[in-house]
Amino acid sequence: MRAYLSVFRMRLKMELQYRGAMIGGIVCQMFFGIVLVALYHALYESKAQAMPIEQVSTYVWLQQAFFRMMVATDPDLNDKIKNGSISYDLCRPVNMYTFYYIRVAAQKLMGSLMRGIPMMIVAFLLPKGWGITLPSSGGGLMSGLIALSLGLICMCALENITIAFTMRTLDPRGMQSLLNLLMVTLSGNLLPLTLFPDSWQKVITMLPYAQLLDAPIRLYSGEYMVSEAPLILLRQSGWAAVLILIGVGLWEMNRKKMIIQGG
Amino acid sequence: MSYIEVNNLRKTFTVRKKREKGKLFREKEIVSALAGISFVVEKGELVGYIGPNGAGKSTTVKILSGILTPESGEAKVGGMIPWKDRKDYVKHIGVVFGQRSQLWWDVPIVDSYSLLKDIYRIPEKDYKSRMDELVEALQLEKLLRTPLRLLSLGQKMRAELCGSLLHRPDILFLDEPTIGLDAVSKLALRDFLKWENKEHGTTIMLTTHDMEDIAALCSRVMVLGHGQKLFDGHLKDLLERFDTVRTVTVKYNTDEPKLNLPEKVQVERSDGEIKITYSPSEIPTANMLALLQDAGTISEMTLESENIDHLIAAMYKEMDL
Repeated sequence: MRAYLSVFRMRLKMELQYRGAMIGGIVCQMFFGIVLVALYHALYESKAQAMPIEQVSTYVWLQQAFFRMMVATDPDLNDKIKNGSISYDLCRPVNMYTFYYIRVAAQKLMGSLMRGIPMMIVAFLLPKGWGITLPSSGGGLMSGLIALSLGLICMCALENITIAFTMRTLDPRGMQSLLNLLMVTLSGNLLPLTLFPDSWQKVITMLPYAQLLDAPIRLYSGEYMVSEAPLILLRQSGWAAVLILIGVGLWEMNRKKMIIQGG
Repeated sequence: MSYIEVNNLRKTFTVRKKREKGKLFREKEIVSALAGISFVVEKGELVGYIGPNGAGKSTTVKILSGILTPESGEAKVGGMIPWKDRKDYVKHIGVVFGQRSQLWWDVPIVDSYSLLKDIYRIPEKDYKSRMDELVEALQLEKLLRTPLRLLSLGQKMRAELCGSLLHRPDILFLDEPTIGLDAVSKLALRDFLKWENKEHGTTIMLTTHDMEDIAALCSRVMVLGHGQKLFDGHLKDLLERFDTVRTVTVKYNTDEPKLNLPEKVQVERSDGEIKITYSPSEIPTANMLALLQDAGTISEMTLESENIDHLIAAMYKEMDL
């Protein structure tokens, strides 16, 4: 247990070193947030949608604030896999999957908090319809926070599956860009899932990608009722379990077949 | 029972080559990295493991450190099978892969050490005393708060060694630890390994291309080639088998020494210096020296045996590696 806590702390510390990347990330995500919100304003002017503009802009800002949680890989880990330094981690008396899972979790948590909190503060200060609105209710906020944690758990499990594939191909790019495409589309980052046709939404909201940020945001904004929360949290937990199991299976297969190449 | 027992270990790799023009499929080549290796190592031994590039040295180290599964054969280290009892086994070993790093790139090295402390569950008191000892022996005092990326190659290797030894392993595997180090760092590293072996009885097995490492450190050397063990024994015995040529350079006080040497000896003269190359198996060195002394009054003389690297090259050639 101590080992896992320690690697968590260590990765948090490491993330704090990259303050330049943090500022760059905030600027970039702010830009995207403003552009997207402006775009929806333009769209709404010609034809208003069922979803009020305040909710759309809240959705967009929360997606942007937690962008780092979704699309962020650990370059250090990828290097390790590529140059074989991962062999050292294999020589440690720890469970490899858990060890890497915790490492990824620390990076995603710290990275998104460092970017997300300043961004949300700014977005709160923006005029109504351009920034974030307050949560629909106390219950909405609470269940949204729980859902966000579950989303993070799913997210790290997905990342570990990508890492397992990287161990086979040695280069993360192919698998990553494929999965990232699925991720930004199906998680609601590109276009809020609430704006998809209702018949599509029935399927999309069941997929693992919708559990990451879409579910917590909808609980926060009140689009999902607080009474629906238990069911949604249960769905998220189910996916978390499935994704972790897949990851563990892939890692176990890798461990048996893995060859650290070169002398 | 010996500490390390390796019996008929085999490992092959499949290498896929780029598809040739006009062929439908890529060609596969099966490379045999280890073709049935057997040896035993006793506790506290310091063993050198040499062989040309691609001989299977690193493969052996990887198998013995539990990160690679062999195809067949047995290996037991301290009664455990490395690749089967991985999690329990690795508590007892330390590994240094010369070309890779275990410390974190962007954080001070002391933070990497405290992570290792938690991974190996080293008690605080034990950690402190071991750290003090290693920091002093490896002269890491000034580097502890420096991030790894700022360290030179020699400093890095010292830092890596400290990391691999924090948990007091019974055995230390070193895969080319002196690669790329300068003379001072190499000497310091060798002294340290000797000290660690003597002070704590740590069994050490190292692969290297630097024959000086072997000469300075190892009482025993194993030669590997094409995945097979070709020699196992004392370095002196190995060298004697291939040490065929000696060179004597003499300078005489008299201008015209009356040298009376057998025909098989090569003689070169330049600037009053005479360079004689002979093989001790044909003329014993004692006889040679007597002949030289008879020729006149000697003012200067040096006797050299062949450079150790040349010997190894000759050996690889003879063994067809």
